[in-house]
Amino acid sequence: MRKNKSADRLSLPVMILLFVLPLLAVFVSLFFGRYHVSLQEVFLSFVRPQSVPLASRVAVLQLRLPRAVAAAFAGASLAVSGAAFQSVFRNPLVNSGILGVSNGAGFGACVAIIFFGGGVFTYFFSFVFAVAAVLLSYFAGRISRVTTSITMVLGGTIVGAFFNALVSIMKYVADPYSQLPSITFWFMGSFASVGYTHLYALIPMGFGMILVFLSRWKLNVLSMGEKEAASLGVDVRKAQILIIGGATLCTAAAVCISGTIGWVGLVIPHIGRMIAGNSNQKLIPVSISLGAGFMVVMDLLSRTLTGSEIPIGILCALIGTPFFVYLLKKSKGGFRL
Amino acid sequence: MILNIENLCFSYGKAPVLDSLSLSADKGEIICLLGPNGSGKTTLLDCVQGFHRSFTGSIKVCGRDVLSLSRPDLARLVSYVPQFHTPAFPYTVREVVLMGRTARSGIFGAPDREDYEICDSSIARAGIEEFAQRPYTELSGGERKLVLLARAIAQEAPLIVLDEPTSSLDFKNELMFLEMLIAFVRNEGISVLMATHALQHPLYFESDGIKTKAVMLCKGKPALTGTPGELITPKTLLEVYGVHAAVRKIETDGGKTIKSVAVFGSGSQQGESL
Repeated sequence: MRKNKSADRLSLPVMILLFVLPLLAVFVSLFFGRYHVSLQEVFLSFVRPQSVPLASRVAVLQLRLPRAVAAAFAGASLAVSGAAFQSVFRNPLVNSGILGVSNGAGFGACVAIIFFGGGVFTYFFSFVFAVAAVLLSYFAGRISRVTTSITMVLGGTIVGAFFNALVSIMKYVADPYSQLPSITFWFMGSFASVGYTHLYALIPMGFGMILVFLSRWKLNVLSMGEKEAASLGVDVRKAQILIIGGATLCTAAAVCISGTIGWVGLVIPHIGRMIAGNSNQKLIPVSISLGAGFMVVMDLLSRTLTGSEIPIGILCALIGTPFFVYLLKKSKGGFRL
Repeated sequence: MILNIENLCFSYGKAPVLDSLSLSADKGEIICLLGPNGSGKTTLLDCVQGFHRSFTGSIKVCGRDVLSLSRPDLARLVSYVPQFHTPAFPYTVREVVLMGRTARSGIFGAPDREDYEICDSSIARAGIEEFAQRPYTELSGGERKLVLLARAIAQEAPLIVLDEPTSSLDFKNELMFLEMLIAFVRNEGISVLMATHALQHPLYFESDGIKTKAVMLCKGKPALTGTPGELITPKTLLEVYGVHAAVRKIETDGGKTIKSVAVFGSGSQQGESL
């Protein structure tokens, strides 16, 4: 037992690695893309931008950099909120969309595309409706005052189904030549249109991640059940609001810039569990780092694998699921490598 | 006085469960709550822990009204060993015990070095060092109960509340658990409030020289309180449980005398005698 004294916290080299991984992924992704930019030009666009041809400079600084940063934040957000929800709802099968975030955001995007012509409105409406969906789920879950964590999941499922129906109505009335394709593409997820103006979404994502990160010890205790957490000295209602609020800010902001990207919020926390164990003390930072790194790499692949872009939502599911099965097999279903 | 309950009344809707119950526990005293299913044992534990808040009368722990205390403050006074327990994630034993320190950190707090030290010391005192790093979910029922006891000890509360702690344990594990509990009561002056179906428990504590009080809850009637020896008699068992029973002194091979209860007939049957 003595020699494992540090086992409950991450060691320094691991922490450095976790910090460096997403930065490295962002850095690497600057060098790749359909428009060829030489190694030298990438470096120079940071140091002496005037000496680099405009097209290269724009590709690196205006397109690839903000896109990679947004992908990193979105990946981290989805992963961390998935991990947080799994503990709050005491269910390892839960993902970041459990409280209807994606469905709400999807409906918001539809409203924006059909009534306001998309654009900036898409981000605004999807964010607002994502948050609204969670609030509805939360209050639906509070109708019954016992075992709120179960009824909240039920509330999320109901609210998700409701917004799904609204999305279907929207698709039904949408113009099949212009609006319907936009809606369909939104649901596949993409960072293709992300520029610096979209980086406002990093504020709620960062804020939400900080809330969850600071509450990571409470997540362990909450996952023991509400009554037990209370007897251990947690103000359960307050902690739930902080954590669900933080996780919601994360996912809503992530989904509103990228569209729905499934799987990340389920797979990354589980990979984190296999690497770092189940204590959220370690799982939360590991999820942030892995989620960020994973999403940047996926985004890089989505824009370089083929001549035209593959929507990242498709790619995440295509690559994420077999990888997950492989890890399950390797850990013999025990969620531990 | 660690626990002081005065005139406690509680009802679910219109059905009264606890009726003007008064009860107190000193430092190092064990209170055993007895009574049939549905007599209000768990309800009383929930009132003491502030889960039920609509009772009348007063419950004070270390002189402080439980309803006036915040969750962290209450958790510093009362710790809890739950009856059933299946965590959703396979935390290690040490991580589970460490949760006992939650009340000592603030809203964004996490355990610090001192918390880890107290956690490790509780693990050592509960004699569970050998599986401290194993996943809690892989342990046997008896081992789990010891872990939960260690967690309650790490909480450093003067009062431990236990809800039928040995209901799923075999004889040996049950005895091990009780011995561990007795050791903490004796060595560290902890007070215990436990609900149990085993009439043997209070008799066992008493014969071990621990200050013990038995409380017999009975639906619709005032609770009976007394020392286990006084209270656990064929007469009260017939009144409260509706069963015929014999209470005998048994001499063990070690020369110790323990009272034992044997239940042999339900009250509806007539004509049997002791």
